[in-house]
Amino acid sequence: MSEREKDSKGGGRGAAGKGEKGGRRTFFRRRRLCKFCVEKIDYINYKDVKMLSPFIPERGKIQPRRISGVCATHQRALQIAIKRARQLALVPYVTD
Amino acid sequence: MSIGSDMSTDRQYELVYITPPDTTEEVLADLHQQVAAIVERFHGKIERTEPWGRRRLAYEINKHREGAYVLEVINGPAALTTELDRRLRVLDVVIRHLIVRVDQDLAVAERAKARRKAAMTARRVRRGLPPEPTETELHRRNEDDDDLDGGLEMGFRGGREQ
Repeated sequence: MSEREKDSKGGGRGAAGKGEKGGRRTFFRRRRLCKFCVEKIDYINYKDVKMLSPFIPERGKIQPRRISGVCATHQRALQIAIKRARQLALVPYVTD
Repeated sequence: MSIGSDMSTDRQYELVYITPPDTTEEVLADLHQQVAAIVERFHGKIERTEPWGRRRLAYEINKHREGAYVLEVINGPAALTTELDRRLRVLDVVIRHLIVRVDQDLAVAERAKARRKAAMTARRVRRGLPPEPTETELHRRNEDDDDLDGGLEMGFRGGREQ
């Protein structure tokens, strides 16, 4: 976990911390599988807040798939579902 | 001819509207009646109505923190939605509404499901098993699935280290 923090800080400073240490090689995060593929969910329902909520972190933003591990097809469908749910005030646009 | 009939084919829409939490039953019934009248005019059909009841809104809409949700599943032509949208926008009792076309997405999901099932059946027949998994098999597979998962993750880990 500490490795990851170091990595992200390096990114924030720009080119300074880039590739100096072999940190990237030693760090390994387990490949995550797409939840919708694994559970064979074909239709991501915008009315189902329980299904959407794991992909909406506290801030209310849509979780990027590099973090959640959702495949491209399902991320696209998920994005539409979340945006629809936002219109209906089922899910927040932003939370401060 | 076939094109013409295609054009008039009914589509399925979901309409969700939100009214203030203190809306009375009569007002809701009247609202439903108005929606039904519009649908009727376009020769559509309301397939089902689902009142969700009161829910907390994720954010304030017109100073309301709660709302009463109603879902209507409507079959009808596309022209219906524009009219519905226009009318709902004008009504003061409706604080928010959304119309979504669902038939295509549901059809895609249905096809994906059918394809998966067909693939499974074909695989089973090739292996000389009955097309449908039996009760005991299903039970056993649930346990196997967990093992498979572990194996897969191991595989990914191996791939990443190279």
